[in-house]
Amino acid sequence: MTAAQGDVVQIGNRKSAIRNNNMPLVKVPKPKFMTKLRRFFMADLLQGLRLTLKYNIGAIIDKDSVAGKGIYTEQYPKVRPDVAPRFHGAPRLNMDPETHDTLCIACNLCAIACPEDCIDVLAMDVEITVAGKPRRKKVLDEFIFDTSRCMFCALCQEACPTSCLELTQDFELATYSRAGFVWNREMLEQGRETVKYTR
Amino acid sequence: MHQVEIATTQETLLDSPEMVLNMGPQHPSTHGVLRVILKLDGETVIDLDCDIGYLHRGMEKIAENRMYTMIAPYWDRLDYIAAVSNGLVWVETVEQMMNLPVPRRAHYLRTILTELNRIASHLLWLATHALDIGAVTVLLWALREREEILKIFERQFGARLTCHAWRVGGMPNDAYDGFTEDVQQFVNNFPTRLDEYETVLSENRIWLSRTVGIGVISADEAVAIGLSGPALRGSGVAWDIRKSRPYAAYAEMDFDIPLGENGDTYDRYLVRLEEMRQSRRIVNQALENLPDGPVNAKLPKIVKPPVGDYYHSIEGPKGEIGCYLVSDGTAQPWRVRVRPPSLINLQALKQLCLGHLVADVVAIIGTLDIVLGEIDR
Amino acid sequence: MLFFAPIEFINQLLLKFFSGDTINHFIWPFIQIGLVVTLVAGWVAYATYLERKISAFMQARLGPMRVGPWGLLQPIADGIKLLTKEDFIPEKADRWIFFFAPYIAVAAAFITFSVIPFGPDWAVITDVNIGLLFVLAVSSVGVLALILAGWSSNSKYSLLGALRSSAQMISYEVAMGLSLVGALMFARTLSLSGVVHAQQLDSVWFFVYQPLGFLIFLVSGIAENNRAPFDLPEAESELVAGFHTEYSGFRWSLFFMAEYAAMVIVSAVAVTVYLGGWYFPFVYRYTEANGYHNLYVIVSLLVFIFKLLAILYLYFWLRWTLPRFRYDQLMDIGWKWLIPSALINIVISALAIFIVQALNGWRGIKTIESLSSGLDLTPIGKALMIVMGLAGLGLTGLSLARINWRSRDFNLKNQRRNIRLVNVPSGKPAVAPIVPAASEG
Repeated sequence: MTAAQGDVVQIGNRKSAIRNNNMPLVKVPKPKFMTKLRRFFMADLLQGLRLTLKYNIGAIIDKDSVAGKGIYTEQYPKVRPDVAPRFHGAPRLNMDPETHDTLCIACNLCAIACPEDCIDVLAMDVEITVAGKPRRKKVLDEFIFDTSRCMFCALCQEACPTSCLELTQDFELATYSRAGFVWNREMLEQGRETVKYTR
Repeated sequence: MHQVEIATTQETLLDSPEMVLNMGPQHPSTHGVLRVILKLDGETVIDLDCDIGYLHRGMEKIAENRMYTMIAPYWDRLDYIAAVSNGLVWVETVEQMMNLPVPRRAHYLRTILTELNRIASHLLWLATHALDIGAVTVLLWALREREEILKIFERQFGARLTCHAWRVGGMPNDAYDGFTEDVQQFVNNFPTRLDEYETVLSENRIWLSRTVGIGVISADEAVAIGLSGPALRGSGVAWDIRKSRPYAAYAEMDFDIPLGENGDTYDRYLVRLEEMRQSRRIVNQALENLPDGPVNAKLPKIVKPPVGDYYHSIEGPKGEIGCYLVSDGTAQPWRVRVRPPSLINLQALKQLCLGHLVADVVAIIGTLDIVLGEIDR
Repeated sequence: MLFFAPIEFINQLLLKFFSGDTINHFIWPFIQIGLVVTLVAGWVAYATYLERKISAFMQARLGPMRVGPWGLLQPIADGIKLLTKEDFIPEKADRWIFFFAPYIAVAAAFITFSVIPFGPDWAVITDVNIGLLFVLAVSSVGVLALILAGWSSNSKYSLLGALRSSAQMISYEVAMGLSLVGALMFARTLSLSGVVHAQQLDSVWFFVYQPLGFLIFLVSGIAENNRAPFDLPEAESELVAGFHTEYSGFRWSLFFMAEYAAMVIVSAVAVTVYLGGWYFPFVYRYTEANGYHNLYVIVSLLVFIFKLLAILYLYFWLRWTLPRFRYDQLMDIGWKWLIPSALINIVISALAIFIVQALNGWRGIKTIESLSSGLDLTPIGKALMIVMGLAGLGLTGLSLARINWRSRDFNLKNQRRNIRLVNVPSGKPAVAPIVPAASEG
């Protein structure tokens, strides 16, 4: 039995690894004469070259047989992408469009639903009068959303009973510091001041 | 059999010792943070070892401390190239454990979207594999097609890569308006594109000489190692979970399994290309028969599978991705175990590489189609 | 011409201080050298731009677009970036060799430009009578730079890249040098200007006589320049960046410049020897013959640049289409195909010239006009030569194909038909995978 590939054997006083010099060969059916002829005239390389040339010309005149346009590049800061309505981007706390009060009822469901524990809802009790009687009501005091840990899974958005917390189409979340990733209630409600580069 | 001997110890100046080459974890073509330690004689690989774990995030342990619904987004981060397929394993495991009747429409949409994900994953594989072998242009062409799929994902799920696509019991949303048209358009355009890749690669003598006979593994060895997915089918083993244990709506689809003959890199390449064609066929069928109805099952307030354990697996783009789930009846799983196809496929690396050159190691890592997020978890 | 009036003026001015000989042999060459070096450096920068644009178009992208209109200032921005980057030297590197290797590369590339005839008359710095030999000799010094760089970096990837590049460049230089011999038989001179003049005299570009030599020269030129599909020394997916893995900043950019300059040189030699250099039909008749000497030079210069661009486009085109060869396959091509065919080419060219010369005067057939400078053939002689050149191409191809008919080059299958599609009955819980008969044996 011959030594297998990779076995270390002793030959004389030298330790040697025996390996099969022949690569494992695959069964190759006898190629047809036409195949060989095509290979002789380099048809296999030429057809590839023809395709890239076609692409090159197509890019210059901006035409493509399948997609219509020859160039697919999105000139990002210049041309802003068309983000889908369902996109999970920067979080936002929605407000009542008429009263401009927050829709958040401080129910903490989003914080419970979050797998990464990146939401903190701080509530406070206020005295209000409902139908002439004094009542205590839990209202939102502060809302902290750590976007650096967020996976944008949208579980919080689905948990919100009042459609208050929403992940918007804003996808530009980069900041210059770690602290900049932690959004407070004001940022969540008003939105961040972002520089939109257009060139 | 022609054999040569290689010196491993240096006794005279003529016996040159081997060189140990450290490939990775920061190497352009180890597909992430894989570290491969190669022992080279000249440029021939005579020994090889893999060092993994650079991307370990403790996914399985995290899952023990989350509620069932919260674990799904983590599964996207296993194989981030095929997040939709991965998400499906988790969701289906929980559903099947709880015996949740998932609506038919949800099953069909799942089929369509996971098949699109398979195409996207294979396209990325083709792109990087071609890049490793030096055909850079194919990279950008393939990524362009993938972009179309990612756009569909963005419109449907709200994210492009780690989609968090499914929820236990169905889907977060029904298909968006224009979903059918978008998918139909992609499906119509796709075959022409596939033919273009084949024009550049399939017959190209350089491509052939770089792939044919490289990394050969026989069917028996492949089964013994536990390979799955296209890596196994390239060796000629008809093992596809979509057929053998159908999930989602695959039982109602008509499709073929492509099988290679020699189990070399070129066969795996052809198998994956053909799989993309078959995926397109499945998407077409599912689109035609897409039923109406709800997409969500009625779900209890807190998802609590009964006490017990369950194993479920699906045919991911890389191979069999499975989930072994042990529930103690509470809202959090007691133990979650992932069966990662990439990790198990990677075990074949040494066997495939020995005796080949450094350039082939790169091609073989590419052909195994590994994703380090899944290997290290 | 008005455009050259200032030059004449400067010449007059210089004559007041120097003798005519000093001006002709010292001052003007200096000005020419300065011009060529700046222009070539600028050209190299814009060759990268061109490559990026062309590759982008082939990949349905736009390429650089942000710096200046259509990204035209991108090479300048890149240059500034590279100049201001940290020049990092690894701790265990051989500092001095690491330091000087890039300079060798860039010097070897730039010196060669001194003998390239960009045009007639003043558009060539110096016309050495061993020009071609000089080009081959100096450009092969470039290999030394790569070896030194790879070795001194003290990195395994660099070392592998250096080893690959030395093996590759040495073996392809043989084929490259041999392929030129055929063309030189027609030109009967090693001077590059002389080669162009020979083609002008014969009014036929030598690639028509020497199709095989031209092909060999192109392929080995691409390999010599370490360009894809032969870019093994810097194969980025295998060796990270090959011999210049450890280089950064300015030193890296010198290697980059040397690569592109070498590419321009090989293209320039290909243009000069096989594509007629600055010679183009009718240019002489409408300019020089009418007394517009400087216009003649400028038009010829433009002709040269257009031919150069065509060859460079071929370089880019091949690079962005074809996958990379493996090391052993590269050697196969060099030693099994290129060198034998170059040798056969020499024999066939010699035979062809012999036949044409022997036929001259036989039964009143006149094949040769004159032999004063190069080979001046009559139309019959040209036709004979072209036929024999093509026959040589076919013959060489066929004979080498016959020899290599059983090799891997030809017998890699067209495998498409071997992928089987099986439709396994669905829903059957498969305990054991179905292993078809293929695995037997």
